[in-house]
Amino acid sequence: MIKIEKLFFSYTGNPPFLLDGIDLSINHGDYVSVVGENGCGKSTLLRLILNFLKPTHGSVISEAKMVGYVPQRSESLNFGFPITVYEMLDSYRKLLKIDDKKIISETLSIFGLNNFLNTLVHTLSGGQTQKTLIARALIGHPELLLLDEPSTGIDIDSQKEIYATLKKLNTVNGITIVSVEHNLDAAIANSTLIYHMSGGKGHFCSPNRYAAEYLNNQKEVTSIV
Amino acid sequence: MFSYVFMQNAFIVSILISILCPCIGIFLVLRRYSMIGDTLSHASLAGVTIGLLCNQNPILGAFIFTSICGALIEFLRTYFKKNTDLILAIVLSLGVGTAITLISSGRLHANADAFMFGSILTVSGSDMIMVLIISIISVSAVILLYNEMLYIAYDEEAAKVAGVKVKLINYVFSILVASAIAVSIKTVGVLVISSMITLPVATALQLEKGFRLTLIFSVIVSMIDIISGLLISYYLNVAPGGFTALISVAVLAVVLLLKNIRNW
Repeated sequence: MIKIEKLFFSYTGNPPFLLDGIDLSINHGDYVSVVGENGCGKSTLLRLILNFLKPTHGSVISEAKMVGYVPQRSESLNFGFPITVYEMLDSYRKLLKIDDKKIISETLSIFGLNNFLNTLVHTLSGGQTQKTLIARALIGHPELLLLDEPSTGIDIDSQKEIYATLKKLNTVNGITIVSVEHNLDAAIANSTLIYHMSGGKGHFCSPNRYAAEYLNNQKEVTSIV
Repeated sequence: MFSYVFMQNAFIVSILISILCPCIGIFLVLRRYSMIGDTLSHASLAGVTIGLLCNQNPILGAFIFTSICGALIEFLRTYFKKNTDLILAIVLSLGVGTAITLISSGRLHANADAFMFGSILTVSGSDMIMVLIISIISVSAVILLYNEMLYIAYDEEAAKVAGVKVKLINYVFSILVASAIAVSIKTVGVLVISSMITLPVATALQLEKGFRLTLIFSVIVSMIDIISGLLISYYLNVAPGGFTALISVAVLAVVLLLKNIRNW
């Protein structure tokens, strides 16, 4: 689904590189949580996969024909923008050239948000906004879902609901998921693979092995390969 | 009053301005680019003077030069990512510098003053046709690109993921801003065009509705502002642009007052 080879990236285009020779391959049906310290390049990696940024060297190839993206809630949205939940989803549907209007109520019903159609998005709670963003990302029936810290600043109940939905989307609907995570417990509980980043490099490991290291050390994990 | 041809022309142009300006203005305001309207309206004076210098229609001159300046703003965004306010200073310098140089050269074939303050007496039949054509094309473009422009204003990254050609649409939008300014310049005047673009939107935003309703309210408020400004300025014998700006501020103040009373 995603193949990254010898990826080097810095925002200036010169060394030192934030991403320093990353090689990774994500297969169809994987649920990968990308973890690591703040500033290690997790979100940058996501933005390279999304083609928002160009690699300084190397290549990022995504085979997905339809991608859903759930941004970091606080960074993405133009706060105070006068837009209702319906307008937000309906305009997105039209951009994707999907004729069937029912897709809006179908995706909102995943989180039981159908009663909020005419509510202004900026008046929703953090959890409701995040669920609406996930609903929007699902409008195009994506093969690949990319999320940037989906649970940051959200109450525990909403977090549980969001992760249960993501797991279902992965296991039942077969959607490949790549999620940048600070919520390590959620990453361990839900993903099929953990991609741990540190010092511009990254390594895959199983959630069980990561959990063993993480729970044993309760600190930054650097030695898992 | 409407037995005068110039008033008939001014009335038709006013209706067109009141539709086009908020349709463009809502995207400018919500992208927090209100000052681009001000910069381009000042730059449009250079287009007017070039049109007068070349013996061409000054509205067409304003449209072309302002479109170029709008595209220049988009182009310079790549080089001044962290200091976007500098871009406006650069384009303003180019526009006002050109205008002052040409006006002071004494080579213009007509007086550019009417474009500074606006004058209903000078709106000719050919001006009106030019304004009508630009307005129809621009409003059609807004309708066609409504979802693209809405999403670029609201969540540019989501627009990119959905396949919107953000850079191209931004260039088209620059031309739309230029067209709104060119349409308004003769009636309203360079100095207050930005208030026609932004104040009706600022008023409609106070109603706290969704995007479509905010846009509709912006057009309604704009019609109230501009037409009442035109009619009252006729009787007071003052420039319609300046008086319309005052009415726009007054209408915004009334809406804010009513909103506060309701919330009290």
